[in-house]
Amino acid sequence: MPEDIISLIQESVIQGRIYKDDEGMDEGMVGQPGVTELVESALASDLSIQSIITKGLSGGMNIVGQKFEAGEYFIPDMLASAEAVSAAMDILQPRLAASDIKTKGTIIVATVKDDLHDIGKNIVSILLRGAGYTVKDLGNNIDTQAIVDAVREEKPQFLGLSALLTSTMARMADVIQMLEQNGLRDQIKIIVGGAPVSEEFAKSIGADGYGADGFQALAVVEALTSGTEN
Amino acid sequence: MTRKGLDGGSLKVLSEESVLKVHQTAMQVIEEVGFEVQSDMALEFFGRAGGRVDRDKHLVRLSESKVKELIESAPSEIRLCGQDEAHDIALGGRRVYAGTGGTALYVYDPVANQKRLASMEDIRCIARLVDKLDNIHFYLLPTYPNELPLEQVDVNRFFAGLDNTTKHVMGGVYTSDGAKQVIHMAEVIAGSAENLRQRPLISMIACIISPLRMDKTYGDLIVTIARSGIPVACPAEPLCGATSPVTLAGNLVVQTVDSLVGVMLTQIVNPGTPVLFGSVATNTDLRDLKYLAGSVEMGLLNAAGAQMAQFYRLPFYATGGMTDSKTLDAQSGYESALTNLLCALSGANFIHDAAGLMEFAMTVSYEKYVIDNEILGMVMRAIEGIKVDDDTLAFDLIKQVGPGGNFVAARHTRHFMRSEHYQPSLSDRNSQEEWLAKGGKVTWERASEIIKELLAKPKHSLPRPIRQQVLSQIKGIIA
Repeated sequence: MPEDIISLIQESVIQGRIYKDDEGMDEGMVGQPGVTELVESALASDLSIQSIITKGLSGGMNIVGQKFEAGEYFIPDMLASAEAVSAAMDILQPRLAASDIKTKGTIIVATVKDDLHDIGKNIVSILLRGAGYTVKDLGNNIDTQAIVDAVREEKPQFLGLSALLTSTMARMADVIQMLEQNGLRDQIKIIVGGAPVSEEFAKSIGADGYGADGFQALAVVEALTSGTEN
Repeated sequence: MTRKGLDGGSLKVLSEESVLKVHQTAMQVIEEVGFEVQSDMALEFFGRAGGRVDRDKHLVRLSESKVKELIESAPSEIRLCGQDEAHDIALGGRRVYAGTGGTALYVYDPVANQKRLASMEDIRCIARLVDKLDNIHFYLLPTYPNELPLEQVDVNRFFAGLDNTTKHVMGGVYTSDGAKQVIHMAEVIAGSAENLRQRPLISMIACIISPLRMDKTYGDLIVTIARSGIPVACPAEPLCGATSPVTLAGNLVVQTVDSLVGVMLTQIVNPGTPVLFGSVATNTDLRDLKYLAGSVEMGLLNAAGAQMAQFYRLPFYATGGMTDSKTLDAQSGYESALTNLLCALSGANFIHDAAGLMEFAMTVSYEKYVIDNEILGMVMRAIEGIKVDDDTLAFDLIKQVGPGGNFVAARHTRHFMRSEHYQPSLSDRNSQEEWLAKGGKVTWERASEIIKELLAKPKHSLPRPIRQQVLSQIKGIIA
């Protein structure tokens, strides 16, 4: 029975259902418990937070990632799943603090100055949160100086920069330059993204990584995370 | 023969009732939800015009009667002029013109099958090409000069256009100072500020950021341009499922509201400003939110936008004729043709992006300008339709030729054949043997040959004294 709850949690993440009234990817899901109800009953059954997170939530997200890569899932499907994970994490958070499970790291994300486009950055944030990172989202149209200040104060492991406009993507290079001038560059890994951004561009401005989409961004951060630990 | 400015409008993707419902919902949005204006200058104007302004939230709401009044203040007919009067285009009604669009970062080379960064020289060369391609009726500055610093971009782009084609030049502008410099330059070329107002050789684009938001840069730009009296297009670019509802009707509501916000601002700043209601609306690839440039939904949205523009009696800046293909293949052809045709049949006045653009509008190809010129020739022929009168019905001729005869030698055939049938300039109609004998070249290879011929022809330049005057009076032009 307890094992069943974990697989139901996984399934509700795949279906992107937070509450029992939510629609899923498949027909006829309305009325069945969603991820929040399932997590509550898992806790009531004394299942470990570790297994809820790794087998249930992350396990579900992994399958969502595969479905997304296969072209079966679209971004709104993936977001529904990530939000389900996020809602479950909200329930688990107070208990997590008391346990010995650590967050994977902190990442500051921002859309650079003069750019108001933040959908891509928001998707990356949701996925990173869903994967267990602490995300501090500065918002859009953020001054280069403000980003550098945030890095100095928050001391994150990662900085994610986003730009959609060709006229603003150069601001990413400005941020990296100012971090260098302030002696902060070596303390963090920087990943960049946005429609006009490419792997080549990322390299040319001295970023550590580039993600073409949300899952790639997550994969890059995960790779850099294991890289920093090694 | 060149076909342009013909009446489209035979296609109606929206019923009259649907047009009205989109309009009513748009008015409800403007009254109840409102729109955000991040330019203080623009916000001030909306306040003065009687809008309910929430200064903390930078939010404006307007009554339907006020919206109506402002729309009615905008002219229904706009003349965009070329340096050569033969290239003037008279926007309004359901008359259709098509031209280039931008602003691409890359240029695709089909021989190498790769793209490179676009430069100033591309703006010059593409202008020279467009100058010679009859079915491309205006020159909208197509590429971004990656080598220039931002403050030099506006004036140099427009100079490159005006110095290489006599067709009308429209372009996006990036800074208010740049816009002012461009207008000053155009005044020098036109002879005076008054001449330029009479015969606008240039026009500009200022976008609204969907959904429901006018950002600071574009808000300031619209004020600057409207004050100058230069024609301006205020398109909105709602993307289904990303910056608008996923449904096409919901997208139309957002596009209508957003473009009207721009239109209204121009009329508050300077009543009577020539302004184009506009759409760059499309859907996104919901696998990764990429902007789609060649989808059939984009064709439908822009066809519907034309109907909304006709409802408001505003000239319409439409988007069509692009492809998401990375090369010049079948997809490139069918997406470009289908979206251009949907816009033209619905009577969209000013179809921009109609030539040259590929790969999500990020790239242009010289060859594609030649290919799209052919598509547009066919599209223009399609909207010309079928003329039915005694001469074309040809009863007398049918009687004369009679059963089993033929029409090859008939004078009637010779009289009508060139005007009734579109004469292709690129399509291959040779037999298999002839085609092979000529090298068996595919479409883009034949287009490459045409490009060589066209670029070898003498090019237009601004008259020497005017050119000198521009170069001495306007700083920062790289001639």
